[in-house]
Amino acid sequence: MFNSISNNFGAGQITFKDYQAPNYVVLNAKVEFDPTNPAYQTCQQLEITVPDLSIERSTIGGVFVRFIETQHYSWGDAIYDGGTVLKSWIKDKNTIVVEKQPWFDNNGPLLLYFVTMYAQLNQGANTIKGTKQRLTVTTDGNYLRFSSDTFVVVFDHWVFMHLQFSSCSYAQRDLPWEATFEQMPEDVTADVPVPGGGNQFHQDCFGMGECHIENKIFTMDRRVMGFWDTGREPFAFAFLVRDNNE
Amino acid sequence: MIALPSIAFEGFSGSAKGVTARRVGGRNILSCKCWPTGAATVAQVARRASLKKISKSWKLLSSEQMQEWDRLAEHAAGASVLGKKAELTGQNLYVRLNVNRAMAGEALLSTAPLSNVAIPNVEFTQVVVTPDLVVLGGVKHEPAPLKLVVKMSVSQSAGISNGWSKTVIITPGMEDDWGEADVTHLYLKTIGVEPVPGEKVFVEAYWMDTSTGFAGLEARESVIVIGESHYQRRVKATMDSLDPTEESHVSSLDVDFSTGAPVAQFNAQCLGHSNVASSEVYLDEQLPSEIIGTGMCIGRSNDADGHINAQSYLVYMYNRNGKSQLTFAHRGGPYYTHTEVFGTGIIY
Repeated sequence: MFNSISNNFGAGQITFKDYQAPNYVVLNAKVEFDPTNPAYQTCQQLEITVPDLSIERSTIGGVFVRFIETQHYSWGDAIYDGGTVLKSWIKDKNTIVVEKQPWFDNNGPLLLYFVTMYAQLNQGANTIKGTKQRLTVTTDGNYLRFSSDTFVVVFDHWVFMHLQFSSCSYAQRDLPWEATFEQMPEDVTADVPVPGGGNQFHQDCFGMGECHIENKIFTMDRRVMGFWDTGREPFAFAFLVRDNNE
Repeated sequence: MIALPSIAFEGFSGSAKGVTARRVGGRNILSCKCWPTGAATVAQVARRASLKKISKSWKLLSSEQMQEWDRLAEHAAGASVLGKKAELTGQNLYVRLNVNRAMAGEALLSTAPLSNVAIPNVEFTQVVVTPDLVVLGGVKHEPAPLKLVVKMSVSQSAGISNGWSKTVIITPGMEDDWGEADVTHLYLKTIGVEPVPGEKVFVEAYWMDTSTGFAGLEARESVIVIGESHYQRRVKATMDSLDPTEESHVSSLDVDFSTGAPVAQFNAQCLGHSNVASSEVYLDEQLPSEIIGTGMCIGRSNDADGHINAQSYLVYMYNRNGKSQLTFAHRGGPYYTHTEVFGTGIIY
């Protein structure tokens, strides 16, 4: 784990969970910043200065960006959070870059989710295949179901996870969710973005929620209004650091 | 150009019959007007036009700007003649640096750079030249704004030991591709003929700082052209590897498996087809069997309606009848046919 040294877009100090191999780096962090601040508005791309990384440059990885939007009605709150995925890369051993896009500049504050692997190329060896494990999801009364494309690929120091939500019992649709991910290692703790779900007020990017994973337990309390809209396929895609790297 | 220190020419200046005499920095110099020989190539025509335009633009600078160039030139040095380094004027330096910048596609620099920062030497481990492969391998990467300039000659007799004057610029400024500079297409486009096995090619390479135009020292190597090479190209799927007899549903493709990690780098502009939430890619060669499997990567819509939502894609990879197929199959997020798939994706 390490803290950032500085950044050029007005965010505070950023704490990264990390696994650093000689030819790739996995980073997890959640960053909030205000897109109206002058530093963000003048920068060409978002840059974070960090202590020496194990690699001096990388290929592109994905970093998710999310805004939170709550509309208040007499009957309660309607949630229209949204976001998308941005390109990110390691520019040099001390600089992490995220592309700057203007799409959500008026929807701040914004959240960046680093659930990212930064790899290198021409490493003298081809891809080494991992082993997929279907994720068995257990909920009380089996109220929450995921598709067959819900799986993990587990390594000693990090995990890749893909979730694809399938259905939910009607009675639980507006209640907080909690499930056990049987094959998830116990030492993974992370806030993970959940893109997808309908969003009638932001039909360019659609929905973006957040779930929490800790000690094999998945929780998700806040979901966009159109989470179960047809064809909006909420999912999660994340490289997660295991808490055994200190 | 001839520098002639004879006192018989002291104070002589002027031009006659293509010969110009002048006195510069305490030296008497005679120079002959040079005329290009042979038909000019397209690249030479462009370069000469650029040189003329840049030379003329010096007069458009303010006097302050000219003085800054003169100041910088005092620290730079021209090629040595008769053991004494020639003084470089501000105008010389302005033209030289801006010609370099123009070569790299950069705009004219009117204000002199602050200083002349040292530029590293090019380091590479091998040069391989065959009739269908021209590549520098093991290039030690230098970050932007440095770009690699490669000059090469046409292949000529192996007995020639000094063919450096025959080198021409093959690439005016490129970034190495993760330590590899494959200039095959550029070589054939510039030189016009394939190198001949058994003959010799002269190679020069240097880094150029595209922000200033300053160039580093040239690394030189001469190589004998071979018929076939054991150079190990890394495993990739690009538009060049598509099977021309099949319809692929991407407008760009660069999938690189050379990570040495449980991931590949996926880059593709998926177009979809036939109301199917997938894009198929057909390669004209097989992928190595150890790579064949399934991948998962991220994407972002980029259609004409302005959709920018995140998506996830399974990538099925398999070999069949001596060829390979990749299928980018949509999974998570709303599906739109025009989607850019990018970034690191798991492989299992």
